[in-house]
Amino acid sequence: MHQKPLISRRECMRSSLCGSLLFSGILQELLAEGSPQRFADPLAPRKPHFPAKAKRVIFLFMTGGVSHVDTFDYKPRLFADVGKEVKLDHPEIKNRPGYERIFLKRPQWEFKKYGQSGADVSELFPHVAECMDDIALIRSMHTDHSNHYNATLGMHTGSFAFARPSLGAWVSYGLGTENRNLPSFIAIAPAQTYAGSQVYASDFLPGAHQGTLVVPGSEPVADITPRSATAQQRKELELLDAINHRHQSTRETDPQLSARMKSFETAFGMQTAVPDVFDFSKETDATLRLYGLERSSTQGFAWQCLTARRLIERGVRFVELIDTGSSGNWDSHGDMMDHARLAQNVD
Amino acid sequence: MEGKGAVTHEMRYMMFKRPFYLPLTFSLFAWLMGAPPAHAQNTEALTHFEKRVRPLLVSRCLSCHGKSVQQGGLRLDSREAILKGGGRGSAITLQHPTESLLSKAIHGSGVLKMPPSGMLTAEEKEAVDLWIRQGAPWTPSTQPLIAKPATVPLWSFRPVKRPPIPATHNKTWAKNPIDAFILDKMERFGVTPPSLADRRTLYRRLAFDLTGLPPEPRAIEAFQRDQSPRAIETVIERLLASPHYGEQWGRHWLDVVRYADTAGENSDHPLPHAWRYRNWVIDAFNRNLPYNEFVKEQVAGDILAKQGDPNRYAERVVATGYLAIARRFGHDIEQDMHLTYEDVIDTLGKSFLGLTLGCARCHDHKFDPISVKDYYGLYGVFSSSRFSYPGCEPKQQPRDLVPLLSTVEMEARTKTVQESLRKLDEENRTLLDSLPKEARALSADARKFATTLSEGEIEDGGEKRFEVGAKTSLQRVHVRKGDVLQLFVTPLQNHGADSTLVEWKIAEIGGQGRLWDVRDLVEDLPAGNPHTDRYGNVGTWCFMDAQEGFRFLPEKLERIDGQSAIKAWRDGDTPSVFVNTSAQPVKVWTTLPPKSFFVHPGAKGAVAVAWLSPFDGEVSISGRIADVHRGGDGVGWLLQQYTSSPNTLTMAQRYAELGRQSMALQELQAKRAVFQESLRVPVAFAVVEGEARNAHIQKRGDPAMLGEETPRTFLTSLGESKQPPKDSSGRLELANWLASPTNPLTARVFVNRVWQWHFGRGLVETPNDFGSRGSAPTHPELLDYLTDWFLKSGWDVRALHRLILSSATYQSISVAPPTSKRPPSPKEAKELYALFLRRRLTAEEIRDAFLTVSGEIDVTPGEAHPFPPESGWSFTQHSPFADEYPTMKRSVYLLQKRNRKARYFALFDGADPNTSSPIRDNTTVPTQALYFMNDGFVHARAEKFAEKILSASSTPQERIQFAYRQAYGRTPSRLEIQEGERFLMDYAQSLKEIPPQNRLTSAWQAYARVLLSSNEFLYID
Repeated sequence: MHQKPLISRRECMRSSLCGSLLFSGILQELLAEGSPQRFADPLAPRKPHFPAKAKRVIFLFMTGGVSHVDTFDYKPRLFADVGKEVKLDHPEIKNRPGYERIFLKRPQWEFKKYGQSGADVSELFPHVAECMDDIALIRSMHTDHSNHYNATLGMHTGSFAFARPSLGAWVSYGLGTENRNLPSFIAIAPAQTYAGSQVYASDFLPGAHQGTLVVPGSEPVADITPRSATAQQRKELELLDAINHRHQSTRETDPQLSARMKSFETAFGMQTAVPDVFDFSKETDATLRLYGLERSSTQGFAWQCLTARRLIERGVRFVELIDTGSSGNWDSHGDMMDHARLAQNVD
Repeated sequence: MEGKGAVTHEMRYMMFKRPFYLPLTFSLFAWLMGAPPAHAQNTEALTHFEKRVRPLLVSRCLSCHGKSVQQGGLRLDSREAILKGGGRGSAITLQHPTESLLSKAIHGSGVLKMPPSGMLTAEEKEAVDLWIRQGAPWTPSTQPLIAKPATVPLWSFRPVKRPPIPATHNKTWAKNPIDAFILDKMERFGVTPPSLADRRTLYRRLAFDLTGLPPEPRAIEAFQRDQSPRAIETVIERLLASPHYGEQWGRHWLDVVRYADTAGENSDHPLPHAWRYRNWVIDAFNRNLPYNEFVKEQVAGDILAKQGDPNRYAERVVATGYLAIARRFGHDIEQDMHLTYEDVIDTLGKSFLGLTLGCARCHDHKFDPISVKDYYGLYGVFSSSRFSYPGCEPKQQPRDLVPLLSTVEMEARTKTVQESLRKLDEENRTLLDSLPKEARALSADARKFATTLSEGEIEDGGEKRFEVGAKTSLQRVHVRKGDVLQLFVTPLQNHGADSTLVEWKIAEIGGQGRLWDVRDLVEDLPAGNPHTDRYGNVGTWCFMDAQEGFRFLPEKLERIDGQSAIKAWRDGDTPSVFVNTSAQPVKVWTTLPPKSFFVHPGAKGAVAVAWLSPFDGEVSISGRIADVHRGGDGVGWLLQQYTSSPNTLTMAQRYAELGRQSMALQELQAKRAVFQESLRVPVAFAVVEGEARNAHIQKRGDPAMLGEETPRTFLTSLGESKQPPKDSSGRLELANWLASPTNPLTARVFVNRVWQWHFGRGLVETPNDFGSRGSAPTHPELLDYLTDWFLKSGWDVRALHRLILSSATYQSISVAPPTSKRPPSPKEAKELYALFLRRRLTAEEIRDAFLTVSGEIDVTPGEAHPFPPESGWSFTQHSPFADEYPTMKRSVYLLQKRNRKARYFALFDGADPNTSSPIRDNTTVPTQALYFMNDGFVHARAEKFAEKILSASSTPQERIQFAYRQAYGRTPSRLEIQEGERFLMDYAQSLKEIPPQNRLTSAWQAYARVLLSSNEFLYID
């Protein structure tokens, strides 16, 4: 394990110095295996500790707090006891003007049973409701925090106050990723949610595991659009490679240098691979219809969903979809009917 | 490895949010504590008790059945008490476990249902039953929390002792004692010591190390030529004396103290004064503040300020920003102050002592001798201090900011200013007295000799031309030099009056054909009152308050309601004369049409505009007024001419004199405002003494579950049991203890940091953890030697730099020569210092290097960020503070936000603004490569760099030479020049789509980008 692969790894690196793109994948593997942890490829795919059914994750996050009693958590008593005054001893509302007397409000939408499981779902989600037999529904969640910020941070990191690595960062850290032309963890968000970038950050895990932000629009991933034409960019990268190789020739034992040289090759590939993800022109009308997406539109949750699917198909380990930002979201206590607009966007 | 990747304590901390009591060596403990009951020997049962049962008793039972309250006479805090039971008898019957009262109570199968706050879960009930069946084993400890048995003292807790300098076989390599220690170990491992790096490499290494900036090519060349034996010392001294040294080394410290410009609570409030602390740190390095002073001032600067040199008052108060910039948490930050104190204690432990004190918030430290009592001893010290308040969503405004003047100075200054104000007011007195009299006299005299030219009224929303109310022909009015034409606009019944649009033209008939139009005033209304006309006649226009006499409107406004298009002269709210300078309608209290002139009468009377005739002759007068704010009852107008005067002065001269006095008064009042402004004292975001009070232990770190009171102390395991005076928080005593030469940790930890910042790796690889979970030093004797040396130098940081930098160890090559028979392995290079470790530039260094090479860097120190004014803050969790403030200054001065870390710093492993970063990570990811290839910042810098290259010379060869010197500090080889020339030609030829004259420039820009993206630019040998 120790002596021999070390030599062969070095040999391999040497042969890849000729700039062969063919070798790049192998180089990654070899760098990952056995080389000092610090310089190993942190994103090389790893086997889980236990056999797993799921290979990749899509995490849909509805900012602002979807009202459970209006959607997936049927409370018949609420319908029966509408208008009844209740006592609530909660520090949040103590001495708060307007909260002297509290009445029960019934959900704005009717419920129906769906599927073999007979899960109760409101009319807000007619399409999701049809799939209830494929969904694991948890109704027992509760929290002792009442702020969006803490709740959002807690949902993503398990920590309500302190910044910690996000769920996607942990998955990337534990399992690596399968397509090195794409990041391992991608967060698709039209606007920043509560607690800002902390929700998709890697915190104390290596920076390679932080979520790459995708913002719907002309440049979904920062710096992905080449500023030079391909032919010119190739010339630049060739010169860079030549200069770097000369620099490295006396410093062969330093894997940092070759890793960085390799990163330019990968980045060059990403410039094609990433826009390809966002190019829906080859999707059929039928597919677009399924997602409720108009051709060439890059707006709305439909675009996010189709993007997520395309990312997952290409081997991205973890994709998170955040539907809205920290305002104009599901925090509809001022006007519950706003849930209809938001639900229509994501259903 | 500490830092990212090595997930150790942090991870566990997060995973086990419930209390997690490790089964430590109970049997040993039990033995130590005296004869235990036989069943208590069963470790497994004890583990079950500690892990599952004791937490339940503590959290669910003891509030009613504990030390302070014994409901039903029952205590559940010791085995004896449980067996003894309360009024109903023994709580546990060992012979019949299921019949035990306790078991029945938790199952609700008897009379009692416990706990009343809500039944236990099935799992919890089972745990208690099992424990009862096991015979209710009990860890014989009197505390509800397990104390760790004493272990062998940690190496880092032992006193610092200077070891002898080892004798080495090689007598020529070592330059100073550091080298002897390093060489000794290399010899023991059979490794040949490295030779010295060449001067170019060395200079580049030193320049980035000490200043964070790329070296001046000329300075490298001078160093290469310098034959003097002290050449290296000269270079080191020069770099240490650079103001950029403090910026680089200050940034290292700012990493450790998780510096940020925002508070980090839900809405991430800005900290507009935090920069003073940032600059204090930079300055402290630049003036070589001894490290013990550096420590003391950060912990207790406010107290030292009062006791010491008054000239250093402000800086010492600023130093406590170290504490004040602690992170705030949650929505209403006062609810979560216990978390902020944890942040303070945790950072204090890591930064000064290399100890993870934060672990003891919920439990005795698992691995290091730090107890919960120690933690809450420190907690009391900080909760007895008053921290500046940054504001948060429910309470937006900051408060408790600390003035940078001592109380004595404040009083002295107030006294001087009060005196000056009194004098000013005395001078004003004459004017204040005479002006109203003169104003009344003027109006009385004017009315005596007045001719009314036009008058009338308009209704709400109406408009009328002056001709409609003409009393005489306005087509031909005779004026003499010194006459006054004055237009009054008066309120009708409602006194509320109205915003009134005024158009008024005075045209000279014959003569020069001049035209005076109030519309001319739109462009420069604030220029003066009296106001010069467009022909340069001084004081032609006057804007008057005509409520009582004729007073000049005294107050000039450059904006109204936040609209800078609206300018005015006014007195209080009304009366006023104002203009809309915009070419667009502007919405204020009403929508004001573009490029127009308005007046607004006062509540008690008219506003007036006067025109002083500068010539003898005839004029024609035209105009109209219009109500532009519906909802009142309209206004009246009166247009009068004043021709003569009862004394020798003309009316116009009387106006001018009054205007002069009015201006003089305005000036005096402006002076008064300046004096008053000088009473405003600069403030710092800092800490002062609060109400001295001990803290109570918070069980499981929960502030709602208070335990016993703990005296304010420092770490007892380090032999410190002294308690501060009753009326002091204890910060001064804490500071003195931290900075004491007998404290075994403070100096060791810092010396290790300095070593790490020079070499990229500490002698102890975990600079924030000198506890038992941290790494042991690779060269313990060297660490002790340096620590002792540092203490004897009087904690002289710069002297320590000199010692390290002049060692052969520091000056070694980083690349093994191709001729070497056995090049050192990476492990030897790293752990034995057999080669100097190559490192990548940090995020700050990359950006600063770009800006330096492109020639755009602004090297003046940064100060405050341009935050919006505090009075307008309304940040929420929905819309938190999220500004960016781009600048060309050095990166240490860039805005650092806590909740929305800048993308650039996230990409290049910048410091974490939320928790102490002892080591910068060094990740290489393709998104960084994308940044170099496609980011606008890189392209813009490369364009500027290309401009410099192009103007440096006219031959490609010399240009390439210039580029190499700038970027790499060396001349290119012949091969490299040829390669460059080939690239440029080839690149330019390939640019078919752009005009030929631009192709060369584009090619040079591409070339510049390549150099700036190369490993040679980014790595330091």
